[in-house]
Amino acid sequence: MINKLLFKNQKKSQLVIALIGAFLGIVFLLLSVHYSVRINEFGKGADVLGPNTLIVQKQVTNASTLNLTKTDFSLEEINKLIQEPFIKDVQPVQSNNFDVSFETSDPLVPYFRTDVFVQTIPIDFLDVKTNEWNWKMGDPYVPMIMPREFLVMLNTFMSASGIPQISDDLAKEVKFKFKLWNDDKTERVNVKIIGFTNEVSSILVPSSFMEYGNTVFGKTERKKITQILILGEENQFGLVESLMQKRGLEPKNSQLIVGRLKSIVGTLLFLVFSISLVAVFSSFLVLIQYIQLLLSKNNYEIKTLLRLGYGTNLIIKKVHVYFIKLVGLVCCVSFLVFLLIKILIDQLFVKGGLYLGTQLSSLSVIVFLISFILFIYFSFRIVKKDVNSLFV
Amino acid sequence: MDIQFKKVNPHPLNAIQHSSESIWNSDFVLKSGTKVLLNASSGKGKSTFSGILFGLRSDYEGSILFGDKELKSFTKHDWTTCRVSKISIVFQDLQLFPELTVKENLELKNNLTNSFSLDEIQRFNQQLGIGDKWEQKCQFLSMGQQQRVAIVRALLQPFDWLILDEPFSHLDEENTTICLDLINQRCDALGAGFILTSLGSKHQFSYDHKLKL
Repeated sequence: MINKLLFKNQKKSQLVIALIGAFLGIVFLLLSVHYSVRINEFGKGADVLGPNTLIVQKQVTNASTLNLTKTDFSLEEINKLIQEPFIKDVQPVQSNNFDVSFETSDPLVPYFRTDVFVQTIPIDFLDVKTNEWNWKMGDPYVPMIMPREFLVMLNTFMSASGIPQISDDLAKEVKFKFKLWNDDKTERVNVKIIGFTNEVSSILVPSSFMEYGNTVFGKTERKKITQILILGEENQFGLVESLMQKRGLEPKNSQLIVGRLKSIVGTLLFLVFSISLVAVFSSFLVLIQYIQLLLSKNNYEIKTLLRLGYGTNLIIKKVHVYFIKLVGLVCCVSFLVFLLIKILIDQLFVKGGLYLGTQLSSLSVIVFLISFILFIYFSFRIVKKDVNSLFV
Repeated sequence: MDIQFKKVNPHPLNAIQHSSESIWNSDFVLKSGTKVLLNASSGKGKSTFSGILFGLRSDYEGSILFGDKELKSFTKHDWTTCRVSKISIVFQDLQLFPELTVKENLELKNNLTNSFSLDEIQRFNQQLGIGDKWEQKCQFLSMGQQQRVAIVRALLQPFDWLILDEPFSHLDEENTTICLDLINQRCDALGAGFILTSLGSKHQFSYDHKLKL
């Protein structure tokens, strides 16, 4: 009976429009948040370099070949790059200053030896477990990360030798050695492949091994810094790219394509997120305004109920719970529709060869809950204020 | 529960020179369980008096003690409790819900305390001559019938005081007497008092106390 009194005089069309707005807003908000998270995660763990990380070098031109321009980085140049707001960190890539070769040392694999170039990347830029990525004198082996092109080359050699080719996992089990030497001495150390990379073209070793090689077998002249690592801010790849073009720097192309794609999709999703957020909050505002209008239209009924002895809390609860149920229902329907659309989009991605994580992102659930809780809070404040003002 | 007035003067009546017999700006006590008639012509403040006692307005100077508690210190919660168990009222403008039936209007009040069964409520209606209107919406009743519904509604709760703000303005003498009898019975049963405001008529009833404005 109280509900009959409190919820008469409703202009249903206004309510329906606000609820449709809330429904669409919530669906797009959930989709944009979920896919922002999944796109940002895309590529993480697929390679040894952390996300938004590039290895760059200066472009080699005819002038640099003739030694008219430098291809190495000075400390001043590195410091200038660090000061850019869209760059989080810049570190030089250390290279070996000693002679080193890589050879097989396994009875199951034919002997193969080649001179190699090894590099070290600070652990902060690598997406590997830190307990695997260290070395000290006396350790049974040096962990290394091998460029995938190198494995392809090794397999070509195996194939030519009439031996079956080896997979990534098998390569990790094959025994290899590094041979380090200078004019006075030679040393062989065991090596174990712990991972592969498509992003770096040289063999990566821990910095402690690099220091050891440079100290014990190093040449006297100082090694120049020809490559640096740049860690860019999330979704600001466009700015990093422009800067690199301006400074005559070039990254490995595949790194740039993924970064550029993530940046474009991230920007688009941010746009959708912003519009959805505005839609959700506008519809919530319309709903809150609708509640105020309803209370104002039923002013006589509420005043009279209060005069009869009904408490303000009861009236507040009745009105508030009614709208929580209504918005809660819209939220639940929105969530279900979001899940259905998500399944469809995930299938489309899979068909297109893009394997994004399909698990529901917790951030989208959090955003969903926060929106609902904010509505509950603000609508309660409004209902409480308006009902109390009618108490006379 | 006694009601004590101490030099009460409503702001809208500040400019008026009240007589020495007027309740405004004087000290008096309404003893618990007494039947009071407040007789005055229009515009003297009868509804203001009812409104102040029922907590609808607090624009007055002076002090009113409800038992030992100052009326102005009542919180919203105090008033809600009071309106369910201490004071009941028949508003001059009745304040029924026109789109609800007689039954629904009365149930709304009775549901707060469950003082009576539906049969008992219907008996009150029959007593007042509106038993056949049970399922009719109040908007289709005459003013006299609506007044009787409002009177029954006011009786459907426990109270110490019943305020009746010109409750018989649309009733003939016979119906007024029937209503007053029912009101008197209910007040006696509860040991409660009532304050009846009137435009001059005494409605052939012997009151314990008469007030003037």
